[in-house]
Order: sequence, then structure tokens, then C-alpha cells
Amino acid sequence: MGLSRLSARTLTARPLRSLLTILGVALGVGVLSASLTLGAGLEAAINRTVRDLVGNADLRVSAFLERGLSDATVEAIRTMDGVSVAAPIVERRTFLSGVSGTNPGTVTVVGIDPTTYPTVHPLELVGGALLLRADERSAVITEALATAEGYALGSELTVLGAGAPTHLRVVGIVAGSGPIAEAGGRTVFVPIDVARTIFRLTGVTRVDVVLADRTPSQAAADRLAEVITTEPYVLATPADLAAGLRASTADFQATTAWLAAIVLFVGAFLIINTISMTVSERAREVGLLRAAGATRGQIIRFVLVGAAILGVLGSLFGLLVGAGLGALMANSIRALTGFAAQVDPLSAGSLALAFLVGLGVTTAGAMEPAIRASRISPVEALRARFDVPAARRGRLIWLTAVLGFVAVLALLVWPPASGSIGADRAIVVYGVLLVATLATPLVLPPLARIIGLPISLILRLEERLARGSMARDRSRTALTLGALVIGLAMVVALGWTADAARHRATAWLADVVPGDEVLTSIRRVGRTEPAQGELAALPGVRSVSPIATFDLAYHGVRIDAAAIVGADFLSDGRLTFLDGDRATALRALDTGGAAILPEAAARRLDLAVGDSIGVALGDGATLDLRIAGIVSRSLPSGGGEAILVGWPDASGPIGVTGADVFAVRFVPGATPAERAAVETLAATYALEANPLTRIEGAVVDALGRVFGLFDAFSLIALLVAALGIVNTLGMGVLERVRELGVLRAIGMTRRQASRMVVTEAIVLGLAGSVLGILVGLGIGAILLQFSGDLGRSPVLPWGSMALAGVLGISCSIVASYYPSVVAARVSIIRSLQFS
Amino acid sequence: MPAILEARDLTKQFDLGATQVEALRGVSLEVQAGEFLALMGPSGSGKSTLLQLLAGLDRPTSGSVVFEGRDISRLSDDEATKLRRERTGFVFQAFNLIPLLSVIENIGLPFTIAGLDAGRGELRERIRDVISLVELTGKERHRPDQLSQGEQQRVAVARALVTKPSVLFADEPTGNLDYTTGGEILEALWLTAEASAQTIVLVTHDARAAAYADRVLVIGDGRITDEITLGRRQDHSAAPLIARLAQIGL
Ligand SMILES: Nc1ncnc2c1ncn2[C@@H]1O[C@H](COP(=O)(O)OP(=O)(O)OP(=O)(O)O)[C@@H](O)[C@H]1O
Ligand SMILES: [Mg+2]
Repeated sequence: MGLSRLSARTLTARPLRSLLTILGVALGVGVLSASLTLGAGLEAAINRTVRDLVGNADLRVSAFLERGLSDATVEAIRTMDGVSVAAPIVERRTFLSGVSGTNPGTVTVVGIDPTTYPTVHPLELVGGALLLRADERSAVITEALATAEGYALGSELTVLGAGAPTHLRVVGIVAGSGPIAEAGGRTVFVPIDVARTIFRLTGVTRVDVVLADRTPSQAAADRLAEVITTEPYVLATPADLAAGLRASTADFQATTAWLAAIVLFVGAFLIINTISMTVSERAREVGLLRAAGATRGQIIRFVLVGAAILGVLGSLFGLLVGAGLGALMANSIRALTGFAAQVDPLSAGSLALAFLVGLGVTTAGAMEPAIRASRISPVEALRARFDVPAARRGRLIWLTAVLGFVAVLALLVWPPASGSIGADRAIVVYGVLLVATLATPLVLPPLARIIGLPISLILRLEERLARGSMARDRSRTALTLGALVIGLAMVVALGWTADAARHRATAWLADVVPGDEVLTSIRRVGRTEPAQGELAALPGVRSVSPIATFDLAYHGVRIDAAAIVGADFLSDGRLTFLDGDRATALRALDTGGAAILPEAAARRLDLAVGDSIGVALGDGATLDLRIAGIVSRSLPSGGGEAILVGWPDASGPIGVTGADVFAVRFVPGATPAERAAVETLAATYALEANPLTRIEGAVVDALGRVFGLFDAFSLIALLVAALGIVNTLGMGVLERVRELGVLRAIGMTRRQASRMVVTEAIVLGLAGSVLGILVGLGIGAILLQFSGDLGRSPVLPWGSMALAGVLGISCSIVASYYPSVVAARVSIIRSLQFS
Repeated sequence: MPAILEARDLTKQFDLGATQVEALRGVSLEVQAGEFLALMGPSGSGKSTLLQLLAGLDRPTSGSVVFEGRDISRLSDDEATKLRRERTGFVFQAFNLIPLLSVIENIGLPFTIAGLDAGRGELRERIRDVISLVELTGKERHRPDQLSQGEQQRVAVARALVTKPSVLFADEPTGNLDYTTGGEILEALWLTAEASAQTIVLVTHDARAAAYADRVLVIGDGRITDEITLGRRQDHSAAPLIARLAQIGL
């Protein structure tokens, strides 16, 4: 019989242990392959979205200012050297009138030049024809919109704009949701001049440019800078857009990747343990093989073949697990970013990589036991009673090596999209986990003694024997416990970061929004329109503060800005000032020429109170704003936090036509009816009402979805840890069969025997919980430190800590069920016959 | 005087799938209180099987075992456990001790298992007494791996005696020991039989060990083939027994 056949038989001799190990490997590989296929799926989704967004365009020149790019600029782009096609586009969100009441009727109107647009964005029609002239009152709509609102070719649309509603006839229908991703499928294409009329625009939103053959986009960008001198603009290439999209999922991907690495790490513990157990158990056989002339190399191969069999089976099974997990993760990311990431379970590259990593980790984990096995001397093995020489330091060194190997692998498969985002975090966290695991064997004996104290009051003998059993093979116990500690630490750390994120989100809103309810509009509401006054006059309303969000150009970069009424913020007590006098600063906004910066922006732009910033206006002019104050948090905006300016500057030089947000503050004790009246009136002005509590709820929900997935990962790590506990306790029972036989012979009941195993599990579980919570708090503190949240959220994550405690103990107790049954069933006679 | 332990027509078969092994083919015997009985026979004759049935560790295929007037051949596991804890003591060939526990803890183990505090009062006295009986005073705190094999077996004897069992069962307690060390164990057993009238059932294939007994039952192929009564003697020379065994052709 070949040695490899013997290896395989060794595995089938302990089917439960082999199965548990295969499961452990499978979970690790599954999580890894899921996060890899998800990465591939996201990349594909990003490329698709970018293609949809820019079509054949090589460059996209977007207007910076509200009024858009002037005709002169469009002309300059069109006639520039190297430009083959320049398609001017107007894009605005608005309402359709006369659509069903439940639907807000929002659509994105895209004004296109019928001659240039189709070359940049080929539109696939399912009916009718494309637009022909730049001024015809016709519209091409998406199939999705047609289906949702019951439009057909020839239907009449009524679009609300700046003036009277405009009636358009549907002449064509574009397949599916159309190319504008953000429109949610509700896009109306109209001739560009019609769009300008509807919205009373003189400029265009953007120009999509197709470059002539062999014109590098960098050269074109440089030339553009020379050509467009009077208006600020933003230039984007498809690569920029893809990078932007990638950035929005990078954090998520990075987190899933390092959680996958952690699950694999825990899986590696299980493998090392299992293979060591098998080696210890088979020591005598190995000795016999050596005595019969097997070389060390053959023994190493004998052990590694066994590990490889486990690795292959586990990895194959893991790919199945991964397919399921991948689908789950794709759902999460869709909920999170709106990306339809399609997880293609047959992405061969990811599968192969995950498989190889699984196999590699298994084999690496088996290396140390294999070498130890090869050192078993034939003489030792033939002694009457065989004790495998306890390997302590040696094993820890190997452990470090294996985990280093896993870390290197993790870095190799690090999602390229996320670049270095989170890599530093992941490395530090990984390092902490490694150190914690290595420290476990040192901490365990005293900890177990302390934990055992109360237990020993009731179950003295069981506690004593359980503790002894844990001390029998320290490194085995340490690995088992290490896995549990890591799983629980992740629960605590993620729980804490989730708490902090939730706390930050809600505290932020409460700190900066001068109202209980936020009314948002998709179009600008002019300062002279009646909406604000009528809302403020309603009973129960104390104040209505108009806010406009827009972009500013400063030193060629886009910064988010918001126009606010300083007096409203002053009387409502919003904003926490870090520098500058609150009253002076807020009043300065209302006078004009001043700005208030969030701390993050002040630090990024290296600005202090008293400095001036010059923001670019049209026609090459700049507006100087003096920094009047620095606040810890400012109004949230798309890219982070907005710098605050006053309305005189916004509606004056900057050219903001109106507010898009109203913050409504109720008088204390406003009745629900009074609140409802505000929402009703808001609806008549097409304002969407969002109570602050609902916004907070939405934020908390979104966080919950993301962290829910991460929690699922920690639970998988915990599951792997539980498999390890079953293995270790089971091995402990097998090793002690004779002892159990003796104990039973002198009067130990079956119940006592099984209680002994459960006690061991409880001590392990308690020790794991204590260490897991401590390590988790450490990791949580590090993560919060990275995100600057440490100390901001006031409390420890008591909920997660309690959860970790309960999980740790219940996992161990559940895991001890089977071994305890085995212990209770030990037959006295059989155990005596063993020898 | 009624027998303290009685076997009636015991048989034991082991199922090995296709075949069956008849380990015992109808054994009846009586053990008197205070008697030191030895079971002898060649390897595979069924000595250990018989001992296990007598001690209630296993159930006979047929027949019954009456221990202190009570049939113990059909006990539930809990009842059997209680019997082992309170009424019987065991010494096996090897691996009698829990490696983790010290000498004194190993000896007190039956009390600890019963939930009693072995470190106090009368129990502590009893543990001290048995330790001095097996001459291990001074080694109470040692662990099994710090003791010689003979000392380990003496700890096992002490533990078997500490509960004052009605019957002490020993299966080849000297099987792993050299000549002199084995002698120490047998002396210790004999001493308890002599000093405290301890009933002992000893399984051995060694005539020198059996020579300590009052009576020897010879087992062959699952049956009692001979009975040799030696009587209580201070002299344990094996010569008379060997002569008798020679007479019956062993
Ligand atoms: N659990 C078992 N399953 C199957 N057969 C068994 C079992 N236990 C004992 N036997 C068989 O029963 C017979 C008697 O065994 P037993 O152990 O009682 O012999 P023994 O007299 O104690 O031998 P030794 O002197 O070698 O210890 C043997 O043939 C043995 O193979
Ligand atoms: Mg035997």
C-alpha cells in the first residue's frame, strides 16, 4: 500500500475531525472566493456604468457654475484641434405633470444635439425614431419610463420647468433604462434648444468630446485649459469616472477582503490543530514506518498528502459556499451603492485563486506537524507509553510563519480598486490579532484559574480535570482559543465601529441642522417664491431656514458649499465653533464676503480664521471670502462636508438661483397635526419632507446593511472557531479515554463525565470571551483612531460586548455537546483494553 | 455464613459480526466475606471477563451475579456506578491513575467524585491510613509520573481500599512489574486481607501471585477447571501451589 493511501485512510479513521476541518477550510475559502468574485463583479459593473455614462466620449467637460457652459465655450471646444465630435448636453431633474399621485413623477430631462449626440451615445431604439432637429417639441423616452407611466409613441408629456409647463410628443422609445445611470430609468431626451427653453438656460451642463484618432487625452486636456479661460469647468476622462465609482465601493471591498483574510486565518488554526492531532495520534504508526525504513522525506510527504486531501476537498466545497456568499454580498453592495454588481460565480480566475489559497494555507498549516512527525524516532514510538514531545515555541514560530504567509496572500489578492485604502488598517488589525494569538498560551493558565474559581465551588473535580485537560497540549488549546478570541474580537470591534458610525451620523445631523424636519427640492426654489413664507406662517412652526447646496471652485478643485442664513443658525444654536466667534461669524455670513469652514476642510486646505479664499466665478473673476469661523462639523454634502457661505454671496456673485433645502424648526410641543400640515403644504410645492428622525433612521439602516454583512463574516469566523472547539474537545476526550475509564470504574457517573467536558468548554468559552472582548476593544480603538472617531463616541459598545460574551459561551457549550456525549459513552471495559 | 459474592452459571459471548466468541461457558462460584480468592488460567481463558462480570462492569449473556444478597447482573448504569463508587474497589494492570492529580488527590478521587471533601475529617484520616498502609507516606504531593511503576500501583491499591469496599477486584495488578516490585503490591494486598479482613478477588496468570490467596480457581477455556484451597498462611512461597498445578497438568 502506498503511503498516500495510508494518509487517506488516516483521515477516514477520524471522519468527524476530517469533516470539521474540511468545513473550516471551506468557510475560509468561501469567504475569500466570494470577496474575489465580488471584486470582479464590481469591476465589471463599474466598467459597464462608465460605458453607459460616457458612451464613446474620451473627455467630459462639465460646467462648474449653475448657469452652465456658455455657447462661446462650447464653440471653442468644438473647433479645438484634435476634437472630432463635441456633443453639448443639458441635464436637469424635474417633474412630469399629470402622472399618478403615488409617484413623485420626477424625471431627468436630457437636452441633446440631435446631430452630435448619437455618435457619442448610440441609443438603441425599441420603437419610433430619434430626434431630428434641435428645436422640435418632441421627446424620446426610456422604455422603463414608458412602462411605468403608460406612455406610448405619440403620447403627450407635460414637463414642468422654469416657466409654463411644456408639452412634448413622444416620438421614440429607448431600450431598457437608458444610458443615464442616476436617473433610475426615468429619462426624457429632448432637443437641446427645447431643454434650454424649458429651464430658461443659456448655457449647457456639459460637453462630451470624442477625440480625433491618436490624440492623447492629456494633450487635449492641456489644450482645453488654453482654450477655455473665462469659465471654470471640470474635466473628466472615463478612467476618472471609473476611479470615482471604484472609490465609492473601495472601503466596502477592502473591509470584506480583510475580513475574508481573518476568516482564513482562523481556518488556518483549525488546520494546524487538526493535522497536529492526527500526527500525535499516529505517532506510533509513524514510528513503525520509520522503523520499517521510511525516510524523513517520506514521512513529511505522508502528512502533507493528508493535508492536501483535506485542502482540496475543503477548497472545492468552499467554492460552493463562496457562490452563495457572493450573491449575498452583491445584494448588500447594491443596497449600499446602487451598483448592480453582478457576481458571476464562474469567474475562473477568482475561483482558481481562492482554491489555490485554500490549498496553500492548508499545506502551510500542515508543514509544522509534518516536520514534527518526521522527527519522531522509531525508538520513541515503540515505547510502551508514547507521549508526543510537546512542541511549544517551535509551533508558535510556525504559526507566525503560516499567518505571515496568509497575510502576504491577503495583500496579493487585495482588491486593486481600493489601492492602499484600508491596507494600513488591515495590517495593524492583523498584527494585533497575531500578537493576541501568540500571547494566548501565556495568558491562558492564570486566566483559566481565575475563571475556574467560581466554577470549582460547584463542580470542583470537573473544573480541576477540565483545566488539566486544557494544559495537556498548550499550543492546541491556544490555537483553539485564539480562533475563538479572533471571532469574538471581530464581533466587538465591528459592533463598536458600527455604534460609532451611527452615533457620528446622528450627532452630526443634530449638531448642524437647524430644524426638526428637512424639506428637499429637486429644483431650486427662488428666494422670492412664496413657499418659505407660507411654511413659516403655519401654526406650530418656529422657523424655516433656506439652504442651498452647490459647488465652488477653489484653486481648480471642486469643493462642496452651502448657503445658509447665519441668523437662523445663531438663534437655533447650531454648529460647534472651534475657532472664531460664533455670533460674529454667523452675522458675517449674512453681511456677505465671509465663509465658515468645517475643520476637515480647514485642515485639508490649510486655512485659518482671518485667511481669505478666492473662489472662481464665471468670466475669470474671483470672489474673495474671509474665513470667519471654523466648526467641528458642517452640513453634510455629497463629498463630505460643505463650506458655509451667506445668501448675499450665493445669490449675488456666485449665482445660486434659490434654495434646495429648507430646515423647519417646530415650536416645542407642536402637535402631530401641525407637523402633518407642514408636510401637506410642502407637497404642494413639490418639496419632499424628511423628519430628522427619518433621515437618522435611513442612515442607521444603511449602516446596518453594511455592518450586517460584516457581522455575517465575524459569525463565520466564529463558526470556524466553534468547529475548532469541537475538534479540540473531541481530541481531549479521545486522549483521555483511559482516564475516563478509570474514573468511571471508581464511581464517576456518565453525567459527571460529560459535565467534565462541558466545564472545559465553559472555561474555554469564558476565557475566549474575556480575551475576545479585550482584543476587540483594542482593535475597535485602533479602527476608531484611524477614522478619527476615538473619544467622540462616548461609551463602550456594551451591547456588542455582551453579545460577544453570550456568543463565546454558547458557541463553546454547543460545540462541547458531541464530545461530551462521547465522554459519557466511554465504556470502562473497552477503555481498559486499549493499549 | 452466606457468600458475599456469588456467580450462578455465568456465560458471556462476544459478537464479532460473523463469528461469536464464547468467553465464559457457565461459571458458578462463591466468595466468602474476608476471603482472598485468586483466578488463574492461561491467556484468553476468560479470567478478565469473569472479573468484569463479578464486579458489575459488564453484563453476562446469561446467569447472574449476586453481590451482598443482591443480583447485580442486570443493573442500570446509574445503579452500577453507585455500586462501584461505594461497594467495590478496582486495581488494573496499568494506567490506574489520573496523571494530572497528585498521589493524595488520586487516592481521594472516589470521595471527590461522590461530592465529598476528601481534605477534611474522617476521610482525611482514612486517606492517611491507606497511604501509610502502602508505605507512601511523604510522597503525597507527587504526581504519578514522578513515581516508579510499583509506587503507582501502590497508589492504585490505596485508592481501591480507601472507600472500604466490600470486595476489592484486581486484574493482573503486578502484570507490568518486575519480581520484587510485584511482591510489594501483593504484600500490601495480603496485609489488608489479614489485618482488616478485606475480601479480594485477584486475577493473575502468575502462580507466585496466586500463592498469596486462600483459594485458587483455575479457569480454562471459559470454565472453572480446578479449585485449589491453600488456606490463610503467613508463608507465601509458591512451591506448594506450583506442585498442585503440576499435578493437574498446568
Ligand atoms: N470485547 C471483546 N470482544 C470480543 N472478544 C472479547 C472481548 N473481550 C474478550 N474477548 C475474548 O474473550 C476471551 C477471553 O478474554 P479475557 O480477556 O477474559 O481473557 P484473559 O483470561 O483475561 O486473558 P489474558 O490473560 O490474556 O488477560 C478471549 O478469547 C478474548 O479474545
Ligand atoms: Mg485479562
